Amino acid sequence: MQSLRILMSLAVPVALAIPAIAQSNAVAAKSAPAAKSTAAKTTPAKGYVAPRTPDGQPDLQGIWDTASITPLERPKELGTKAFYTDDEIKQYGKKRMNDLDRDRRDGSATQDLARAYNDGWFDRGTHLGRNKRTSRIIDPADGRFPAFTPEAQKKYDEFHKWFAANPGNSAEDRELFDRCLFFSQSGPPLVPGNYNNLYQIIQTPGFVTIYSEMAHQTRTVPITKREKLPKDVAQWMGDSVGHWEGETLVIESSNIRFNDHSHFGTQYDGMTDENLRVTERFTRTAPDMITYQATVVDPTVYTKPWTLELPMEKSTGPIFEYACHEGNYGLSGILSGERAREKEAAMKAK
Amino acid sequence: MIKKILSTCMLGAGLLMAAAPVWAHHAFAAEFDANKAVKLRGTVTKMEWINPHAWIHIAVKDDSGKTTEWMVECGSPNTLLRKGLTKNSVTAGMEILVDGYQSKDGSNRANGRDVTFTDGKKLFLGTSFTGASGEEK
Repeated sequence: MQSLRILMSLAVPVALAIPAIAQSNAVAAKSAPAAKSTAAKTTPAKGYVAPRTPDGQPDLQGIWDTASITPLERPKELGTKAFYTDDEIKQYGKKRMNDLDRDRRDGSATQDLARAYNDGWFDRGTHLGRNKRTSRIIDPADGRFPAFTPEAQKKYDEFHKWFAANPGNSAEDRELFDRCLFFSQSGPPLVPGNYNNLYQIIQTPGFVTIYSEMAHQTRTVPITKREKLPKDVAQWMGDSVGHWEGETLVIESSNIRFNDHSHFGTQYDGMTDENLRVTERFTRTAPDMITYQATVVDPTVYTKPWTLELPMEKSTGPIFEYACHEGNYGLSGILSGERAREKEAAMKAK
Repeated sequence: MIKKILSTCMLGAGLLMAAAPVWAHHAFAAEFDANKAVKLRGTVTKMEWINPHAWIHIAVKDDSGKTTEWMVECGSPNTLLRKGLTKNSVTAGMEILVDGYQSKDGSNRANGRDVTFTDGKKLFLGTSFTGASGEEK
């Protein structure tokens, strides 16, 4: 395990050098197969044509907000019902807000404890997604993540059993977001979290930059036909290249670094491995909205591909600073808490 | 006054692992002790508007007159600001009530389950449903 970490740390200077490699097209490696989207193709509203940047690309620039109370996975009782009616939105929206309300003190002691971080901590939106979807996962048809493969399920179970017994041996054993290393908001794919769900998109000739408010993670994606990075060069946000398909910016990513804790973030405890491929599609479907879709393919982890959709709504911002390391007592609190627990256990054993 | 009684002391550790949310550099069960429910009444000495989470510092006087300093963790400055709080919302000298959980390492840090002014008003107001489209934003 330790040797694996050392190997991974060696990837950092290589990762820093990537923009230069990208521009020089110097990498000779086999192209990763693109993830195939199984979701419906997104088209702009009838008659709408996105404005153009000075160099003629559809203009996606601005600050965009993905916060909404639409659940990532569809409630099971809805089956394959993909959209709400307006009346259902009113009813379900109120119910959903009540379900999410962390200032409530009703229910069991267990439920109360699960709301220990009060509502003041959360900024996940106060409305359902503008696409009227019943879930952010739109494929498979039941709006839920597909099953793991048996091998992946075994690995997942083993890791979680170990982690439950070893929640704080060292900082390196903690989640990537505990360590301020990586948050799911930046993708790929973009998976909104509990707060800081704003993005800024900036386009320059040959590049698109996606800047995430959460921990200020930035992906600068070349719009090019360059070769992918060699298979053994992996980065937390992967190796992304983009191209335009009509009105849609398509970004394909591979070489996504992984460990036991890389799993699409705080809203979904999934798994990834070296075979993860993500295809993202950004389409400006209205003056104040980008429709975002991302299809995830990983045949050694998931039994089927899955696709999520987010309406990205135009925001006036601003994006605020989120310096995750600045005054972060969380990690030291977790580790000192675990040391205290060990001491207590040792005293009891005497 | 805090009228609500916490009954979390009765919970077993296994149950906590199942219930505690794991997110955003905070694993409640790893950092705070559900068996150490605390109720604090104190005077704000300062509020630190720092990333990634703000902290309120309070001076708590016990029955013997001894004063102890406590730190109570809050949401991120971004979130608090968007919920309408400013640096003038919580200032030195204000008296507040904290109903929460002490850190596992026994230091005077707490997770504030409920944080209220003495008239019962919450410091951090929740949010209400605003519809489907977000057009009102």
